[in-house]
Amino acid sequence: MSKITAKLSAEEKKMLRQTYWRSFTLYSAVTPAKQGASGFEYSMMPWINHFYKNAADKKDALVRHMAYFNTNLAMSPFIMGVTASMEKQNSEKADFNAESINAIKTSLMGPLAGIGDSIFWGVLRVIAGGIAISLAKSGNFLAPIIFLLIFNIPVQLVRWYGGQLGYTLGSSYISDLYEKGLINIMTKAASIVGLMMVGAMTSSMVKLSVKWNMVMGGKTILKTQDMLNQIFIGILPLGITLLCFWLLRKKNVSINWLILGTLVIAILLALVGIV
Amino acid sequence: MYEAFAVAIVVFLTVGGQELLGLTMLGRPIVVGPLIGLLLGDLPTGLTIGASLETIFMGIVNIGGASAAEPGLASALAVAFAINMHGGLGVALPLAIPLGIIGLQIKTLLYVAVVGPFASRFDTLAAEGNEKGIVRLHFGLWGLQWFLYALIPFFAMLVGSSATQAALKLIPAVIVHGLTVAGNVLPAVGMAMLMKILWDKNISVFYFLGFLIVAYFKIPLIAVAVMGVIIAILIAQRDFQIHQLQAKPAAASAVDHSGESKSQQEDDDFFG
Repeated sequence: MSKITAKLSAEEKKMLRQTYWRSFTLYSAVTPAKQGASGFEYSMMPWINHFYKNAADKKDALVRHMAYFNTNLAMSPFIMGVTASMEKQNSEKADFNAESINAIKTSLMGPLAGIGDSIFWGVLRVIAGGIAISLAKSGNFLAPIIFLLIFNIPVQLVRWYGGQLGYTLGSSYISDLYEKGLINIMTKAASIVGLMMVGAMTSSMVKLSVKWNMVMGGKTILKTQDMLNQIFIGILPLGITLLCFWLLRKKNVSINWLILGTLVIAILLALVGIV
Repeated sequence: MYEAFAVAIVVFLTVGGQELLGLTMLGRPIVVGPLIGLLLGDLPTGLTIGASLETIFMGIVNIGGASAAEPGLASALAVAFAINMHGGLGVALPLAIPLGIIGLQIKTLLYVAVVGPFASRFDTLAAEGNEKGIVRLHFGLWGLQWFLYALIPFFAMLVGSSATQAALKLIPAVIVHGLTVAGNVLPAVGMAMLMKILWDKNISVFYFLGFLIVAYFKIPLIAVAVMGVIIAILIAQRDFQIHQLQAKPAAASAVDHSGESKSQQEDDDFFG
């Protein structure tokens, strides 16, 4: 497997190693609003510091990678590798569109989460658990250790080589596209996939349903959620997300207030029994 | 006192530890059970109960913060109580299920109400370029969250099993429910931030397309992504042709472009 890294400099290999170790902490400070943003940032710091010497560029990169990030942990180094290769291009080329970095990040995290969750959580963990349970029931004290090894050896291999693969693939394709002047077309294409993924994630991750029904004379005459579903399924999560987006974009409301407001409103609505 | 301390440390290092160490499954019953058994001097009981609880909690994984129970705390306390009462699975099981559900509620409470509000602090630190601050907060929040979480098994062990159950019933259900609702709605803020990055009038319809096909057809995310890639390739091909036409003098014939563009389009396909 050393072929993957054959063309990389010692410095790049070192940063890939740092990303591998740092990405263990992806979800250390996981929050509902941004999931693993701080862990992604922490994993990208070696690259940001290496590529950007100018304080303003460095800040831009730091802000960029504090965006919402959520994927399967085993897959995260691959995305970090691709991201790092794009940061490299961005630092070297004045007209590189920095927005394409987050566009590509976002279009990768959804599908890789889907693949990773089903392979590692769905299949591998169940196999490891099954073997360990039968060992434990026959009194074998090594059961927990065997459980951890069966699960973690494949995961760590994917994490280790995934980062290298992401970085080298990213480097070769992205510089090629750049030279042909196609980076804007690629950014637009990536943004399309990204936006579709965000739409899909809005539908699958933002959840809100109304529990309150109209009751008259002891009989339920209107099931609110059923009625809403007849209008448009997921109208509430979609509406709330669009409201947040509008507040963020047009009204410049800070996410501080958005988070706090959502929290308070959710508890109040739950208190009065609406949701 | 030793036992309370031991159980709290185990919960901190396994349930909390796996969040720091890449969800490496340290907090599963099959690991937590024997570990508690070892520290409380009854490894065989810990191993057997751990294995049984692993079977029961097998279907429960924590993906993207959505789960049905937190098996780590449940296993730690259930095994510890079983060992103290010289009971087996019969003692552990009735305790483990409610403890798992309560554990998850407390975990959600910490996630939404304690760590959650710091999301914007991270943004401020990033805008200031304060890397040290980000790193400190990143690890500090981990420590704070799991220290608070580990206090539960600590006090639960001090007061004993029956008192624990009684005390846990006192948390108002409506608060727990409200926080769960909030936890389900808060991803909207994250989505809004992503939209702020990606949004462009010309392509905004694709956001609604993504939403629609999941809401109505329940298509898995991976299929949405493949569909997105296909659409993106089609659009990139058209854009590429426009790009070629603009780049070359009008005299160049259209036939040349289509032949030449093949290999370049393949590059588009990869990132689509």
